[in-house]
Amino acid sequence: MPRWRVLAVFLLPALLLYSVFMIYPLVSALDYSFFKWRGIRQMGFAGLDNYRDLLSIYPYDQQLWRAFAHNALFFVGTMVIQNTVGLLFALLLFQYGRGRRFLQAAFTTPYLVDPLVVGYLWSLLLNPTFGPVNALLEAVGLDSWALPWLGDTRTALPIVILVNAWQWVGFPMLLFSAALAGIPAEYHEAARVDGASAWQAFRRVTLPLLTPAIGVVSVLTFIGNFNAFGLVYAMAGSTGSPAGSTDVLGLLFYRVAFVEGGVEAIGRSSALAVLMFVFIFGVSLLATSYFRRRERRLV
Amino acid sequence: MRRRWIAGAIGVLAVALAACAPGGGASDQGDKAGTDKVTLSLWSWRVEDVKAYEKILAKFEESHPKIHVEFKPFQATEYNNILATGLSSSGGPDVAQLRAYGGLQPLVEADQLLPLDGKVEALSGFDAKLLEGAKGHTDGKIYGVPFAYQTLQVLYNKKLFSDNGIQPPATWDEMIAAAKKLKSAGITPFAVAAGPDSTWTLPIVHEIFGNARYGSTAFRDALVGGEKKFTDPDFTASIKLIKDLEPYFPKDVVAVKIPDVQALFATGKAAMYPTGSFDLAPVLAANPSLEVGVFQAPPPPGSPVTTPVTPGWADGSFGVNAKSAHQAEALELVNWMATPEFGQLYATELKQLSAVPGVTPSDPLLAEMAKNYAGNGAPYMLLVNFRYGQPNGDAVFRDEVQKMLAGQTDPEAVAESVQKGVEQWFKPGN
Repeated sequence: MPRWRVLAVFLLPALLLYSVFMIYPLVSALDYSFFKWRGIRQMGFAGLDNYRDLLSIYPYDQQLWRAFAHNALFFVGTMVIQNTVGLLFALLLFQYGRGRRFLQAAFTTPYLVDPLVVGYLWSLLLNPTFGPVNALLEAVGLDSWALPWLGDTRTALPIVILVNAWQWVGFPMLLFSAALAGIPAEYHEAARVDGASAWQAFRRVTLPLLTPAIGVVSVLTFIGNFNAFGLVYAMAGSTGSPAGSTDVLGLLFYRVAFVEGGVEAIGRSSALAVLMFVFIFGVSLLATSYFRRRERRLV
Repeated sequence: MRRRWIAGAIGVLAVALAACAPGGGASDQGDKAGTDKVTLSLWSWRVEDVKAYEKILAKFEESHPKIHVEFKPFQATEYNNILATGLSSSGGPDVAQLRAYGGLQPLVEADQLLPLDGKVEALSGFDAKLLEGAKGHTDGKIYGVPFAYQTLQVLYNKKLFSDNGIQPPATWDEMIAAAKKLKSAGITPFAVAAGPDSTWTLPIVHEIFGNARYGSTAFRDALVGGEKKFTDPDFTASIKLIKDLEPYFPKDVVAVKIPDVQALFATGKAAMYPTGSFDLAPVLAANPSLEVGVFQAPPPPGSPVTTPVTPGWADGSFGVNAKSAHQAEALELVNWMATPEFGQLYATELKQLSAVPGVTPSDPLLAEMAKNYAGNGAPYMLLVNFRYGQPNGDAVFRDEVQKMLAGQTDPEAVAESVQKGVEQWFKPGN
């Protein structure tokens, strides 16, 4: 068999599945978003009406931007907390080899649990009526710290970001560990011979060489955070409790599509899905090409 | 990392594909068998009621030997999509359990249901408020036989009341005094949840305490007719009642979830539970020895309506697929579902309030709720009249009331938001 036929045999099943379950829904969402809907009945071409409704009809006009801002905060918070701590863990494990395997496994175990389950478990732990976290705080005399963590508009989103970081911190750690292992030891030796301090060596040698890993981690974090759903849903419900302070785009989509169930649901939710896809896809492309350019400058 | 919304899109697609697949509908099988026995397919969202329906339908088959009914339940959360696609293709149901009010409208607008006007005589004897739930919003035709309704009232713990020397309150002030007394005894007076995925109970709490305050059915009619708005001082005052009662709710109520308050009430840590008739069974399941009583919230001072009110709504109805191949038999079935025989079986087997007139529940508490509704029933307005477009009236209401309880807005602003929300689609006079 010629080479391309062999390739086709191996690629076709995956391509078929990919087309049916990824491409087709994407295209049909785009298609749906341009029509007027009454229930499941398509009523004719609507142009950009669904998009206009989403951006102009109360309360979606407010909820959309609020959710977008929360996704952005979610991303920034995750970059600062999860990925910085992940890098720190990777550096520590790299420096002090003992127990590395065990700790790497330990940090990544929360992966094995679905975000819905993680969210549910943490909401039980943080429950103001029966939860052990506040009971513990009260037991050690920190009564003033026993806050309704998920019931206060100021603490709810930060708590969700922390729990998300708790679950995924192993992910940047693994990627950074692999990248650190790939940096030739001579570079560090040369830096030390030149009299660089530990911080200088990290700042001038290690960090620039981590650019490819930082790029991958940033883009994947961005995609994950802007598509956040399971964890927030489990911890804050479909309305982003309390008072919408944890509302994200995924929840807004879920509400418009499935919860409120108005006759316009399909058109508007498809429009929102398309907007989310275009934004996430576009920014990911831009970010990837930016990091590529940075990488090329390294060589 | 995952792409959740794509997963959602795939879900929608999967349902669509399933519906497009060549259907093995029960009606087809009946035809193929070639016998004179017709098989009807009955769809429902009550997966947990299979046994009860088998018993109920066996009675129907006794008196209608030529019809066999196959009960086919689906997951409640997926049911709306499954039914909508099922009705639009072959292999769908002959008779289907239908959502009420706004939930029914998409099917009506898609012409997927058979109007039952003149085809089910017994419907003329049904409660007019409950029939609203089975009617098309614009054409006013009846599309289903209502099967059940829910009522809203306060459940109370009889033992906690007698331990603290409290009677079911006859006036608003008595109720507040009782709540104060309970609170000082270390008991949560009202089991109310406003936390994640629990905010849908807030419009219910509002109905229970505020229906009389905003003016009940008369206000609803004025609102629908366009003579009044949600920003009316009476409606705003009814929202303020929730804020006034907050000191008697569990601590940090915006973080408290429904299972928490059910547990508080079932374990005797909360004395009163303002909720729907649907919660009686779960509460008693959690603690079978709990002695529960029921009362209607007394009208607060300044109410236009001075008698206690029991708000309620129709749960849903049974309707006939416009494309059914066995419409005559399907009509026989829904006609039977309008008889007291079905109503009584339904009430007994499922411990629900049957919508069939003249049926009394065997459970004394349910019977009391039914009596209250028959005497002082009123529509649960946000659900009954304001779920016909996006955003739903009660969706805006629950979010804003939660904000109010979190200290971020006030009753006037809540009322303005609800008005602004429903104005996006609601035209008075329809």
